[in-house]
Amino acid sequence: MKLFKKLLILIVSLLILSLAVFYAARLAPGDPLASWYGERAERLTPEERAQAEVSLGLDQPIHVQYVRWLKNALRGDFGLSFKYKTGVLEVIRGRVGNTLLLGGLGFLLIFSLALGLGLLCAWQEDKPLDKVLCKLGTVTSCIPEFWLSLLLILIFAVYLRVLPSSGAWSVGGGGTADRARHLILPLAVVVTGHLWYYAYMLRNRLLEEVRSDYVLLARSEGLTRRRVMLHHCLRNALPSYLSLMAISVPHIMGGTYIVETVFSYPGIGTLAYESARYQDYDLLMVLCLLSGGVVILSNMLAQAVSERVDPRVRAREAMGGKGADRHG
Amino acid sequence: MDERFSLVGVRPLPAETTLTKRPWYKGKPLLAAAFLALVTLGCLFCPLITTRDPAYMDLLNSARRPDGTFLFGTDTMGRDIFSMIWYGGRVSLAVGLLAAALSALIAVVIGTASGLAPRWLDTCIMRLTEIFMSVPSLLLVMLLQAALGKATVWSLALVLGLTGWAGVAKVVRTEVLALRRSEYILAARAAGGGFFHILRRHLAPNFFPSIMFMVVMNVRGAIAAEATLSFLGVGLPLEVISWGSMLSLSQTALASGAWWIILIPGLFLVATLLAITEIGNWLRGSSNKKHSNL
Repeated sequence: MKLFKKLLILIVSLLILSLAVFYAARLAPGDPLASWYGERAERLTPEERAQAEVSLGLDQPIHVQYVRWLKNALRGDFGLSFKYKTGVLEVIRGRVGNTLLLGGLGFLLIFSLALGLGLLCAWQEDKPLDKVLCKLGTVTSCIPEFWLSLLLILIFAVYLRVLPSSGAWSVGGGGTADRARHLILPLAVVVTGHLWYYAYMLRNRLLEEVRSDYVLLARSEGLTRRRVMLHHCLRNALPSYLSLMAISVPHIMGGTYIVETVFSYPGIGTLAYESARYQDYDLLMVLCLLSGGVVILSNMLAQAVSERVDPRVRAREAMGGKGADRHG
Repeated sequence: MDERFSLVGVRPLPAETTLTKRPWYKGKPLLAAAFLALVTLGCLFCPLITTRDPAYMDLLNSARRPDGTFLFGTDTMGRDIFSMIWYGGRVSLAVGLLAAALSALIAVVIGTASGLAPRWLDTCIMRLTEIFMSVPSLLLVMLLQAALGKATVWSLALVLGLTGWAGVAKVVRTEVLALRRSEYILAARAAGGGFFHILRRHLAPNFFPSIMFMVVMNVRGAIAAEATLSFLGVGLPLEVISWGSMLSLSQTALASGAWWIILIPGLFLVATLLAITEIGNWLRGSSNKKHSNL
């Protein structure tokens, strides 16, 4: 029953999202024919244009177009990419793996490194190491991803010539080593851009934790600082860290999109950028829904995780308290 | 001695209160404030400190290294980077401030309305907010900007403002939920106070401190977003000089190894963002920390 309700929320959310994106995309003044016909679009006669619009279904009112899109989508037909002239799903299928690789590796690295960094800072609270790391972290979190990408390209690709500046593999394809070399710079940017935020959140959560009374009790019972920190404080901080991981998905995804675009990395992000820029409607729709769906799902996951790990959240909701918001 | 046999819970005695006051500058982000003041003044009075027309394309002197004549060098179109920094800073800072102000306004209205509304409406608004937050903001901004046509300072600030309110709105709502049952709100309502009256006189002063930090961070976010969008070629066009649009020449600069075209506007951008962050952190206030039990 509960699952059913969640599913319903997901579906309604996606419907509203699709409607909004559909309208926003159609209201944009760009010329979708330009992405279908490329250069030729400007040489079309008015009759040819009209005919092309009819054949692509662009002549009807927006709501009619939306209903037709929805009907087709429910049958699994998400339309054609105007630019690539093939099915939208096919275009995406070719790219999604690259994004999952970059985003997934980035996600894993960010959260494993942030865990270590947060613990280290909390352990060394207000000692020189903590202070230096905090300053350094603030600086890294202020560097826009695109500029960090440029800087790294400038250093490693232009001056040192040790790493490739764009793409996911060399011309003619390459082995695993080649792909890894192409991943280093984008991955470095994705990780640097987000690492500190999550490490800092964990650090502050742990600092709250070490000020609670149970820590004093545990210490007076003779447990070592190390044991209290790792087995008691960290354990109590983990639920909020886990839900933070789930909530972070849209941010890390957005960052990945920018990084992909700067590095011309053939993934979903570059595709989304192109489709929004050149009004490739059908492709844009699916990409927005895909991104939105992932985010909504991860929000639900966050809630489920914190309910499972921390029964207090569920209890508060069961009591009907409106203040059941998670404070992560 | 083994750690298990050490004394725990020992608190240092509170330091004797001395009559000498803490120096006024202690704990304040002076460096950040000074830098921001310098940049702001430089941008406001840029005609006084710049010697060249930032838009003039001196094609004979394109992509020159920094030297005595061109303090920061010239870009690939022959424009003087030193002049562009100050004129461009005007645009970047203006977009950031306008967007943050707009998003704060929207956030306060939506957050308060949601917090005061009946439960079903509150749930609806929050669900919609979540859907709104679920699209990566870059895509959303690009879509809206495309709908508004060619980007100008105003339209870009509008779009960034329209997309940046959700986080603040959530905080406002939480605060309002906590406040709505207070007796003075009830009294104001009973006396016939309208929505905007209660918002302005009773609610806003209470939640203002807690959103201050987020609003400052929104300024930072908007400046960074402007730069990212203009760099990608979907924000301000090349002829509207901003720190972001200056960086949109980076691709050609990379090809010729002209580091100054990338490095100098970027350093100004990052330093400004950093200064804003420091001030935001200071505004959030250092909570009076208890002693660690560990």
